[in-house]
Amino acid sequence: MHPFTVLAVAALVVTSTTALAAWPVSLSVVLVCLGVAATRGRLAAVAAASTAILVPVWCSQLMIHALFDRAGTHVLLEAGWLRLTSEGLTVAAQLGLRLAVLVVVGATVAVAVDRHRLVAAIDLAPVPPQAGYLLAATLALVPRLQRRRRAIADAQALRLLDAAPEARRAGPLRRAWRAVRLQAVPLVLSSVQDAAERAPHLAARGFPSTADRRTRLRDVPDSRLQRLVRRAAAVGAVVVPALILIGGAG
Amino acid sequence: MSVPQPAAPEPAPGPESGTDATAGGLTLEDRPGHSGPGRRLLATAGFAILAVTYLALVLTQPAGIAEGLGQGVALAAFAGYLAAALLLLAAVLPELPVGTLTLIPVALALNIVLGQFVGSVMVPLYLDSIGTVLVGFLAGRRAGAATGVLGTLVWALFNPTVLPFAAGAGLIGLLAGTAARLGAVRRIVLAPLAGLVAGVIGGLVAAPVAAFVFGGTSGVGTGALVSAFGAMGDSLLSAVTKQALISDPGDKAVVFLIAALLVYALPGRLTRTFAFVRRYRVLGRRRQAQD
Repeated sequence: MHPFTVLAVAALVVTSTTALAAWPVSLSVVLVCLGVAATRGRLAAVAAASTAILVPVWCSQLMIHALFDRAGTHVLLEAGWLRLTSEGLTVAAQLGLRLAVLVVVGATVAVAVDRHRLVAAIDLAPVPPQAGYLLAATLALVPRLQRRRRAIADAQALRLLDAAPEARRAGPLRRAWRAVRLQAVPLVLSSVQDAAERAPHLAARGFPSTADRRTRLRDVPDSRLQRLVRRAAAVGAVVVPALILIGGAG
Repeated sequence: MSVPQPAAPEPAPGPESGTDATAGGLTLEDRPGHSGPGRRLLATAGFAILAVTYLALVLTQPAGIAEGLGQGVALAAFAGYLAAALLLLAAVLPELPVGTLTLIPVALALNIVLGQFVGSVMVPLYLDSIGTVLVGFLAGRRAGAATGVLGTLVWALFNPTVLPFAAGAGLIGLLAGTAARLGAVRRIVLAPLAGLVAGVIGGLVAAPVAAFVFGGTSGVGTGALVSAFGAMGDSLLSAVTKQALISDPGDKAVVFLIAALLVYALPGRLTRTFAFVRRYRVLGRRRQAQD
């Protein structure tokens, strides 16, 4: 499927589910997403990524809305500053579920959309050509810089710089800055140098030309039906929640 | 041993952002695109949407964030902040010269890699905007703002909850460029002060999103602070704003200091390739190690 179709449908699902604010719907969306991830063999990845994001947020929402609630009347537990109420728990659960929909749908989209196809789709779309380059270059650079930082850390360890008398005499803050300097400076220096060297090469090849006659390595299959679904989902992502909210208010 | 070096002769003014590949004198100067009325309109619309959304949230302070119209407030805040960020990006991106475009992905990757590394050896702050501030210092306000917004959009591929904070991240990049332009990097001691100011502004802008979209914060420590303020009688927005004013300025002060130290650690031949650095004399006199 075209990456933009997936993104548009995901936006429609998130905005409509948020506007509905009905826990059976939200729970169903989460379960469907986990099912989609399972069919692609990525259930563990989606579950792990979602849990890593959601657990600290849920803890935060529980603390803010439920554990020290002063407004609720149905007190479940009270001890000193602690005041757990059923109203507070309901608010925390509603907020937690609202966020769970966004995170799980996002994590599912992340595994469902091939990043190379997303870059190619952005490149083909009528947006500035810089957008595709920036996304592609960033996604390629992150693992490369992580490898380079590990190599720099290994090289500095081989020089036994941690055992140097200067390092042993330094206080904790100076030691922390020394660790940052020994690894971050070579990393930043080499990366900025690479960027500076890349610029004239790109400029020499006419980047970022807005001319449409460019040879593309990768094409993204699209269809009339998908374009129709995409447009309807994009419009629906705005109109459907608006109608739900107006209906709810009336 | 270190010795003071005389300042380099001031070059002719150039464009605000981008690198100048004329260091070797073999290629044409890398000029940014022109800022047409359409792009100015986009930027104005972006700032206007951000201001209107922010003011509407702060002035009305809607109650009932989890039920009824609270869902509409969350969606409107999310959409308003995201739309503002995308409009600002659309206005700025085509203007950036190639030299800056090649620097931005490096900065975005550095945000992730340095954020992970520095966070592992120092105090538990976010420290996820070192690359953004670095670009602001080297290439100016527009490049800094574009880096902030793009960094958030790329990070949203891994964590969609950061999406509405794109405008705030762009603002930090813009403020970093402004600080460098005003001379905050010429003396290292001024950099954390500029970071403090940027942190206060960034915290104020981000607080309504945290309060009305997420109902608080995304971390346990920050959540404890918000709940403590809430227990003392503050409204949710007030508690989140106070928490942001405690966490963000310190974080940005450290980030601005680290970015300034990294800029000074870069060799002069490299920093001088950035027209913004030359035009606004971003860096002070350098001390060069002899050993």
